[in-house]
This record gives sequence, C-alpha cells and structure tokens, in this order.
Amino acid sequence: MNKRLKCLGALLIGASLLLTGCGSDSGSGSAAKDQGKVFRYGTMAYGPAMQNASTDPHDTYCGWSAVRYGVGETLFKFDNNMDVQPWLAESYKQIDDNTVEIKLKENITFSNGKKVTGAAVKACLEDLIKRNDRAPHDLKIDTITADGQTVTIRAKEKVPALINYLADPYGAIIDMEAGVKDRIAVGTGPYVAVKVTDQGVELKKNENYWGDVKPKMDKVIVRSITDGDSLSLAMQSGEVDAVQGLPYASLANFQDTNKFKISSTGTSRVYQAAMNFHSPQIQDPKVRQAISMAIDKDKFVNVLLNGNGIAAIGAFPETTAYGKGLNGPKFDQEKARQLLAEAGYTEKNADGYVMKDGQPLTVRWLTYTSRQELPLLAEYAQSSLKDIGIKVDVNATDNYKDFLKRGEYDIYAQAIVTAPTGDPEYYLMSKIYSNQPYNNGYYSNPEVDALIDQLHNTFDRSQRNALALQIQQKILDDNGVFYASFLKMSFVMKPNVEGFAAHPSDYYEITPELDMK
Amino acid sequence: MSKKKRKFFFFLGLILFGLLISLTAEYILPYGPYEQNLDIALQAPNSTHLLGTDRYGRDMLARTIAGAQITVCSAVAVAFIAAAFGTFVGLFCGYHKGKLTTVLLRLTDVFLAFPVMVFAIAVAGILGGGTINAAAAIAVVAWPKYTRLVRNEVLPLRREFFIEAAQMSGFSFWRILFVQILPLVIGPICITAALDIGTIITEIAGLSFLGLGTAPPAAEWGSMMSGARNLLQSAPWTVFVPGFAIFITVALFQLMADSLRDLADTKSTR
Repeated sequence: MNKRLKCLGALLIGASLLLTGCGSDSGSGSAAKDQGKVFRYGTMAYGPAMQNASTDPHDTYCGWSAVRYGVGETLFKFDNNMDVQPWLAESYKQIDDNTVEIKLKENITFSNGKKVTGAAVKACLEDLIKRNDRAPHDLKIDTITADGQTVTIRAKEKVPALINYLADPYGAIIDMEAGVKDRIAVGTGPYVAVKVTDQGVELKKNENYWGDVKPKMDKVIVRSITDGDSLSLAMQSGEVDAVQGLPYASLANFQDTNKFKISSTGTSRVYQAAMNFHSPQIQDPKVRQAISMAIDKDKFVNVLLNGNGIAAIGAFPETTAYGKGLNGPKFDQEKARQLLAEAGYTEKNADGYVMKDGQPLTVRWLTYTSRQELPLLAEYAQSSLKDIGIKVDVNATDNYKDFLKRGEYDIYAQAIVTAPTGDPEYYLMSKIYSNQPYNNGYYSNPEVDALIDQLHNTFDRSQRNALALQIQQKILDDNGVFYASFLKMSFVMKPNVEGFAAHPSDYYEITPELDMK
Repeated sequence: MSKKKRKFFFFLGLILFGLLISLTAEYILPYGPYEQNLDIALQAPNSTHLLGTDRYGRDMLARTIAGAQITVCSAVAVAFIAAAFGTFVGLFCGYHKGKLTTVLLRLTDVFLAFPVMVFAIAVAGILGGGTINAAAAIAVVAWPKYTRLVRNEVLPLRREFFIEAAQMSGFSFWRILFVQILPLVIGPICITAALDIGTIITEIAGLSFLGLGTAPPAAEWGSMMSGARNLLQSAPWTVFVPGFAIFITVALFQLMADSLRDLADTKSTR
C-alpha cells in the first residue's frame, strides 16, 4: 500500500511539473497573437545588482536602461567610431573655455506629446546634477540658462569633454513635469515604459515619436536573465527573440545561420591588471616587465574567449584615434625568464619557482567573478607565470573591495569601460593619476600627471588624442598596467530580427529600426 | 571467508585501489592535472587524452584522478571529525546527567533542525570559499546525528551490571566512558560514518559547484563541473567526466557501507 501511495505521489508530482512546463509555453504563444508585434529580449545586463532597474536616468546607472531600451535619448550620441554626433541637439557652439551653447531640434516631443524646449532640458539637467552621483563631478555645471530652443551651460572650470559627458546615458532628457512614477520616466525615445520591475521592463510603441524612422514593434519585453546557461537555453528554445551577454562558451551553440544571427562589436571594456606599486616585489621594474611579457594575450582571446575579444595593447581600442600605434610588451617567456634572473631571482625551489634571498617570488592576484572573463584570465595568468617561475595565488572573490581596502594584493585585475564618453580623460584621470581613489595600483609618475593635467586643459581633439597616446605609452613603458583584452560584445537573435545591432558604446539596443519580419 | 565479508573487502579494496591510483597518478600519467596547453583546448576524448581536455587544454583524466584526492580525502576527514565529536558529545550526554547534558542536547536539536546544505551554504558564505571552510561547514552540521545515535545506545547501558561494577571499583568517569562504553557502540558509529562519506562527497562537490568550496584551479570534481557548466552542450565530457567520478565514488562508498552493515548484522545475530 505504502509503495503504491509513493508511486502515485511521484506520478502526480511528475504530471504537475509537466503541465506547469506546458502552461508557461502556451501562454506566451497566445499573448504574442493578441498584442501585435512583440519583441522578447533576454539580457544579463539589467537588474538591481547592476543598479539600473529603473528608467529614471538620474538614478545611479538607470540611464543605461532608459537609453538601451529606447525610452530616453540624450542631447548627443556616439556613432560607430565613438565620435559624438547631435541627437536631440541640432548643434552646439563653444562660447568660451567654460561655456557651451546648445541648440535643440525644433520638432522633438516627449512621449506624452509635450514639446521638448530649452526650459524642459534645463529642468532635466538641474535635476540630474542634484540627484546623480557622477554627473556633478563630470559636468561641473555652474549655471544653465534656457531661451526658446537654446540651452547655455556654463561650467565652473574648463570641461573640454562636456559634450561627451552629455552623451552619457545619465544625460537622457526626460519630462520633469511628468516626473518619475513607479520607475517610469517620460522620455523622447521610440518606446514608452509601461511596467518596470527588478525582473524586467515592458515597453510599448511611442505613437508620438519625433524621428523620421518610426518604431515598428507594438510591444517590447526586456527580461533580466542573469544566469548564462538559462539565457542560452531561453534563446535555444525560442522563448526570447534575442539575447545579450551569453557566456563565450555558449556562443558555439548559435553558429547555425539558418536558426540564429549574431551581431558583434568591439567595445572599450578592457580587462586589465593593475600592478600594485606598494608591493615590494612589484616595485621592481624588471619583475613588472617579466609579468607583462609572460602572458600570451592572443591565445587568451582566441582560445579562452573563443575569439570573442580583441587583444589589447593600451587602455583604449585601436579603432579609436587615441588607441592607435602604441608599443606594448610582446609575449616572450624566454626574455621574461632572463629579466627575472637580472632582477636577482637566480635560484629555483623544488616546485620550480624562482627565489631571491631564499624567498620564492609570489604574486597575489586579486580579481572578482561577476565578469566571466576575469577568473579565466586569472587562471591563465597563474599557469603562464608559473612557466617563468612566478607563483600566483589567485583570489577571485566578490569581496574584493575588502582586499582592496586592506591592500592585500600585488596585482588587481578588473574590467573597466575606459572610454564611456568617447574620450580618454575619464579613465586616465580616475585610474592613472596619482593618489586618485580608483588608482588601485597606486601608479604614480609626475610626468604622466603633468600630461594628464595638460589633457584636462586642452580642447583641440587631435591634440587630446596625441596626449592620450603619449600618456599610455609611458604607462606601458613603466609596465604600470597590464592590458589583456577588450570585450567583444555579441547579440544573438532569431534570423527574422532586423535593426538590432551591438554598438561599441554598449548604450543603444532597442532603436526605432528594430523589426521582426 | 563468508560471502558478506568478501563483498565488504571487495568494495573496500576497490576504494583503496582508487585512492592509491590517485596518490600515485602524478608518477604514472604523462600529463599533470594543472598543465595548461591552450593549443589542445577542448579536445574530445581521444587516444592521447583518454577523457579529453578542458578549456585550458588540461588532461581531464589527470584532473579527475587528482580530484579524488581532494574530494575523497576531505570527505573522509569530515566524516571522521563529525563522528568523533558527535560520539564524544553523545557518550557524555548518555552517561552524564545534569544541566550541561540538557544544554548540549538542546544544542544538538537546534543543529538537527537545520537543513544540512542550507546551513553549510550559510557557514561557507560567512567563512568564505576554500576546501577547508567547506569541509568545516559540513562538519558543523554533520555531528549531531552521531550524538543522537550514541546517546540512544549508551542510555540502556548505563544501568548494566558491568557499569555499576566499574563504578564501584572506583573507575574514573572518563575511563568508564571510553574503556567500558565506547567499544560497545563503535560498530553503529562506523556504519553511519561509512554511509555518511558518500553524502559528504556530494555535499562538498555541491558547495564547490556553487563556488563556496574548493576554488579553481584545484582539481575538485564539483568545482570542475561548475567551471565547465556552460560547455555542457559544446564539450559535454568536461562536465560528465567529473560528474561520473562523483557518481562512481559515492556508489562505491554506499555499497561498502551497506556490506559493512550486513557484516555487523551477522555478528549481532550470532
């Protein structure tokens, strides 16, 4: 009897699981028929952990969601070469070192039908510098004045990259009179948010969209799927029409061009390892050079990242004018061994690690796991450095901030977007300049600091590019930072999805061009 | 030798043979478990690499065999520590009456009430990752069942004549506990511990799979499976090989424990 009851129980549970599975599937199918053209998008880049679970651009990183999902648009935008182009703005004029005058396009309306005027932009930017944590520091705005379709911004000091900063997603223009309710902001984009939760965003077409190209989808559903395998399975089963953020290993499952399309682009997200200049063994320039020469970046990119990366030389991609023509360390393990010997590491212990004064050369490699490439880099570096006799203790932990605070690392590997505003100053100022809180390697070179100061005061674009290159070359000559690779971002989609392409800025995803044939 | 004895020694022999291979693997196999070679990454099982290679080009056979050392040795150590500590508390609570016993028994109840894996995840989460922390986390929740078991065995013994005789002879409290009582309850403890090893192996592998146990590049089966998770479709051997190793090892320990129990039953019926 007992056995029979158990069998019956197991059958019931099995049947209910089966029915639940069928239920969700059939539900989504019928919904699609009722709601017109629906685009379902699974992404790893949305959620409370990313501080972007809202469409209010002034709240932390939520501007990314506003711009990515077509709710908000900025005054200026980046083209495919990361050059700034007008978007809501018609043009701009640099009045003097501290003042810029922006002329807005005439025909722009918010999704509620209200016209976008200079006064509306002023109100929005004032709220931005009041509430956002990064914008006041970047823009350094003193006053904003509005007159018709003209907005004049006066900064407290020279901000040569002001226009670039206005293209940051936090600069998305929203209707401040309408306010932000339930994380929904009223923007000017092709889509209007109707429901925003921690799990995703639901959008509908903006019937009042001002652009020449009108949005084609009736509804867009953005779902946060933070597990790479679930994301991959969702795409394979057809539960979503497109995905972003698939693990590299999973991309191999989407090579059938009859079933899937892939759109890839290089980005300025660099995987770098900052050498800690407070650490005695790292202070030796020969040791730093040996480390930089012992890791084969091309193999890392081609094998471990399955080709979904671009080997880096400096901090910025070679596709930018401030990333071309640099001379970095070349992979040469024989030379690296020689350098270690010159640095006094002449003996070897039983495990094959080089020693000086009876102490083996050990490096603590700190990194975190939320970026899948970083543990791969750490494990590869561990093996590569072992080849030249350096022992690497990998500490891949999401408590990395505690270790950073306590200074318990010799190398800190991280992923950073180096040119989020299409300009080199932000990275160099925050990560390289002496004594900056985010200069985790405590790199300090007075010459480099002087050049960064000069960059900060230079408006001419070509001069800025030349300065950025000069600074990077000095960092590379000092082996202050090891630049491993740049992220190549990929979108996978069904073959009938059109107008959905990866952008090097990582800001623009759902655009009016998006369509499903 | 009886059939039951032969069965027990057969499984025990298999386990010891496996461990012996694992300990001597680095001298037998042509590849080391940590030797990377990206030129041969993700090769399917072939005549050179019998179980294929992982994404770093490391030999899966070498890694799986090396993994036995970490997984099995830590599981045996955890089972031993949990059994020793739980037995000690159980002996004390069974024989001694007093407030301390009541407190210890309530504490045991509290630990018994926790779901093992959830509690281990919390402990490993607080202590941080690492093989030792994961083993400690599991040991913390594994001991109470031994306390219960031993106490239940000791309670009826307390009124036995030989214990009273020992007490009257002036034997110390601890001597009675360890010399008179312990040998009588050691059988069930060994069987429970042997059965426990299989469970502990899966728990350690589970914690490593969740990133709370052994960290890469250590060749631990759970961590190997976790690291290769997203290769399940494109390079399935990287996940199945360590998974199969866990399955075989757990099965062997369970079979060995079962045969040990059968052996003990025979003795008791005699």
